[in-house]
Amino acid sequence: MRDQLAKSLSIAWKDIRVYYLKAPNFTYGLLMPVALYLAFSVAGNLRPETLISGLVSLVVLFGATSIEAVAVVSERMSGTFDRLLVSPITLRCILFGKALAGSAFGPVTAILALVPVLLISGTSVASPLLILIAIAVSSFAFACLGILASAYSKWIPEAQMYSNFLRFPMAFLGGAFIPISSMPQILQTVSRLLPLTYSIEAMNQGFASTVPDLTYAIDMVVLVTFSVACLLLSEWTLKKKNG
Amino acid sequence: MLSTRADPSNRTSYTFAPNDRCNNHCDERMEQAIEAANLAKSYDGHRAVDGVTFSVNTGSVFGLLGPNGAGKTTTIRMLTGLTPPTSGKAKILGLDMVSESLKVKARIGVVPEASNIYEEMTALDNLVFSAELYGVRKVERRKRADKLLEEFRLEDRAGDIVQGFSRGMKRRLTIACALVHRPDLLFLDEPTTGLDVQSARQLRDEVRNLNDNGVTVLLTTHYLEEADQLCDSIAMINNGKIVTIDSPENLKACVTGEKVVEVSFSAQVPEDELNALDCVTEVHRLGDKYRLTYSGGDPVGGLVDYSRGRDLTIVSMNTLRPSLEDAFLKLTGMTPDEVRKEKEPQRQRRNDG
Repeated sequence: MRDQLAKSLSIAWKDIRVYYLKAPNFTYGLLMPVALYLAFSVAGNLRPETLISGLVSLVVLFGATSIEAVAVVSERMSGTFDRLLVSPITLRCILFGKALAGSAFGPVTAILALVPVLLISGTSVASPLLILIAIAVSSFAFACLGILASAYSKWIPEAQMYSNFLRFPMAFLGGAFIPISSMPQILQTVSRLLPLTYSIEAMNQGFASTVPDLTYAIDMVVLVTFSVACLLLSEWTLKKKNG
Repeated sequence: MLSTRADPSNRTSYTFAPNDRCNNHCDERMEQAIEAANLAKSYDGHRAVDGVTFSVNTGSVFGLLGPNGAGKTTTIRMLTGLTPPTSGKAKILGLDMVSESLKVKARIGVVPEASNIYEEMTALDNLVFSAELYGVRKVERRKRADKLLEEFRLEDRAGDIVQGFSRGMKRRLTIACALVHRPDLLFLDEPTTGLDVQSARQLRDEVRNLNDNGVTVLLTTHYLEEADQLCDSIAMINNGKIVTIDSPENLKACVTGEKVVEVSFSAQVPEDELNALDCVTEVHRLGDKYRLTYSGGDPVGGLVDYSRGRDLTIVSMNTLRPSLEDAFLKLTGMTPDEVRKEKEPQRQRRNDG
């Protein structure tokens, strides 16, 4: 088990070097959500804490999924994924390693977005620890979502289409720009099915309270469960594709 | 130069001490590195591999020979755990490929047809990453990577991003990556495809070197000369089925009943006129030459008379020993033109490279 985890970490570090440490990835992971945020914050009537929670969650969503959504499919296309598959590591650990890489990218972009926004707005944070935990768990969940989109795709544009199909509705229905309580009942129900909702909710807690309450715990459990489900589904999909 | 030693886990491993070649693998020659029994694979109702059964002796070089789409790569994919067989079983180094796949993978090296190294990483980083995947101890990784870079003549480019490498260099690095954990068995899928003549020759030398030092090799190739030069045994595969398995010399011997003469005239002649000559069974045009297969007689006199009758000069005439290609043609039922067409895209790639 330890040996498999060490190999997962090697894959994560390799992915960070190969896919993440590139300027365009940082700019896409930051610019897209910041642009969306600015567009809605001008006209919106949300509290600054809620807006910042939404912004950070969006940055994490776009950052963690942007490359992860194509990482698996591009490796499958280039043949390098087979190189991982013929080595003595399970497919589950390969995917876990890839998710770790994605979840390392999310916090970097989130902190790059969060610090200047906090300084400019003068918003105080009740518990940086709760926010950091929420960022880390959300990043992992969104990286797993990116892997799932990638696992279903045959080529890169298809993976990008799937990930955008998931990200954009989530951005509008997850409570980043519009309070969930002001949505019609049917959309409120839909929003409870989206991981972004739980990510924003958990981050709100970090702004409001120094100790986690039951809602925060539920948010974490939902995000972890979502991550595990995405990884297992990705594993099943890829096994099926390999015959 | 690679050399071998036996480590406590009873596995072959290499050191790179010059003039220190060990032949302990010869004692294990008769053990079976691969045992495939009725291995089959179907995709959407199409049977890509149709119940192949063969075994590969430890320490040997075994070739899988066949035309495009014959099932060679699918067979390798099943033997390396990349795809599960639809039916049948495979034992690799005495271990079941399906139930003990991680143990098997730790002891095999796989070089696919297309080089699969990370082009964004340096040659050294690729090797170190491979070592990490195979659980090579941290203190050993760099040492092994450096030695492989030296062995495969890449030491001057160790710190360079692979993207700028030539096709031959990428191929050598792919093989080096497959050897970093010192495998007992190496799978090479079309190892010299797309390489220039010199790189291909160097690579064949590397394969011989590895085999001399105890590594069992299973290779697939389109190049019949390559199989002839490298393999101890060859399985010819066509339409997903093994047609025959034997040594190259025995395979050539199976076509001794038929003889071949190659003749070139001062002008082109119709093939059907040559086919009508006594004892000629088959005629194929090869550039400015005609290859005549004959049996039960000798067409040389007939060819001389034919050339006189048509007022032609015989530019050259050679009787040929049966080649592995002749055996391949006979056993697979392909024509020389089809074999040439199979090779054509690869020659094109070699020229491009």
